[in-house]
Amino acid sequence: MGAVTDDEVIRKRLLIDGDGAGDDRRINLLLKSFTKWCNSPGSPEEGFTQYQRMLGTLAQCEFSMGKTLMVYDMNLREMENYEKIYSNIEQNITSAHDKIAECKKEIQRAKRIRKNRQEYDALAKIIQQHPDRHETLKQLEALDKELQHLSHIKENVDAKLELRKKQFHVLLTTIQELQQTLENDEKSDNDDQSQESPAQNGE
Amino acid sequence: MMRGATCSHQPTPTETHEYLKWLSAAAASHFTAASGLLHMSVFSQSFSPCGRFLAAGNNYGEIALFSLAAALSPDATTANQKPVLTFTAHEGPVFSLLSTDSVLLSAGNGEVSAWNWTELIKKNVKPLWTKRPNYKSSLEIPEINSMAINPRDDSLAIGAGDNNVHILDLEHGAFKVTLRGHTDYVHCVCVREREAELLSGSEDGAVRMWDCRTGQSVHCIEVHKYESCARPQHGKWISCLTTDSDWMLCGGGPSLSLWHLRSLSPTSVFPLSGCQRRAAFHQDMILAVGDGAFVSHCLLGGEVKGQIPCTPPSLNTLQLNTKSSEHRVLTVGGGSSKIDVFTNLSYRAFSLSF
Repeated sequence: MGAVTDDEVIRKRLLIDGDGAGDDRRINLLLKSFTKWCNSPGSPEEGFTQYQRMLGTLAQCEFSMGKTLMVYDMNLREMENYEKIYSNIEQNITSAHDKIAECKKEIQRAKRIRKNRQEYDALAKIIQQHPDRHETLKQLEALDKELQHLSHIKENVDAKLELRKKQFHVLLTTIQELQQTLENDEKSDNDDQSQESPAQNGE
Repeated sequence: MMRGATCSHQPTPTETHEYLKWLSAAAASHFTAASGLLHMSVFSQSFSPCGRFLAAGNNYGEIALFSLAAALSPDATTANQKPVLTFTAHEGPVFSLLSTDSVLLSAGNGEVSAWNWTELIKKNVKPLWTKRPNYKSSLEIPEINSMAINPRDDSLAIGAGDNNVHILDLEHGAFKVTLRGHTDYVHCVCVREREAELLSGSEDGAVRMWDCRTGQSVHCIEVHKYESCARPQHGKWISCLTTDSDWMLCGGGPSLSLWHLRSLSPTSVFPLSGCQRRAAFHQDMILAVGDGAFVSHCLLGGEVKGQIPCTPPSLNTLQLNTKSSEHRVLTVGGGSSKIDVFTNLSYRAFSLSF
């Protein structure tokens, strides 16, 4: 006690609150009353009451010490508890970070998908404007058939025309030949007649 | 002059005259500085290859470099929203800016200049090279309206005011081909990567598709001839063109419309009033800017999802920072000296100012 300076004592006393200061005083009082009791010349009843009082004070000191020990234990356990909670929260933070990163990736994917869908929609709009392929094919087929039919007819008409031309040609050539033959005959008749008359005149 | 007699010194006429001249000069310079900002328009933007810097070009021929890392940091101040470097790159407006892996290409006054990004970040403003396509007419210098890089053969397509698209080989530094076909100046060019084709939109209302290898015009779409897109009250010019290899967005005089390139047919027309100057595909949306102080978000189906307001009264350029993962922002600039930055597409976060 003598080696400790006054300042430290005051500081310690100020730091330790309430019960601690009372305990210190109590222990001092106990020691003083113990020495007084040992050296007291008084009656045995007084001595006994003193003794009882000292036992009481001792019990009080023990009780307060027990309380302090329990508080100390409690503090240690609280610390452990807080450590656990702290590490738990840290884990949660990291997992939340990971989830955020993943969600960001998801968003990028979703945006790409959305963009693709919008592109499809835009293309579909244009495609809808054009007529159906089946219909167009059918129309094409019908037109083809008509075309074939018409060309067939045209061929027939052409062939007929040719035939008629040829027939008329044949007819005309025959008529011409007949005409020629008739003319020739007439000419030869005339010639015969003119040959006969000068022969008659010459006689 | 007597010492101690300054209070009784009468100013001579020449001194007064000098003083008034100095005063008016100071006032004029202050006034022009202020009105300079007032009449500034931002025409082009480009992000650095690392994604930490933004270069913006304005109508005075200046390029300003902004540090995105500083402006987006949690303890950014208004000083961080000012450029870290401003320099005059060309004598005319800088209509187009483009970044490759190491170089910033800027187009202004009919020429293309290249600046090394690392040098610019160190504030060294010496261009690597400056080239001018050989324009036939020497009367006036045609402006370069747009540039696009074809990564396949490392060539730069330049859409110019002489109605042609010039192709510059970046490796050899020589002009390879000139694509002729448009009858009026070319507003915008873009590259269709998968098919090795180039698309160009022009004032004559036609979008032409060119084969990169042969240099011939493969298709020509006259957008204003399609009833669903045409807006005769605005004209037939195409100012905005962007492509996704399968799809194309084009707009300008006619309404902004989405086209399917395989079938060359318009699939959706977007009901946006005003002429759109830039559009971009972003995830599942389309972002468009133009007349009007807002960025329009549209869906591929043709509906306008929303219009986000911003500071410039009309917008000329829209750029998304896809090269950086931590500074993923959208920046827009237009008829004001402020460039709006969007960290979340739904609202304007802050503005950078020239």
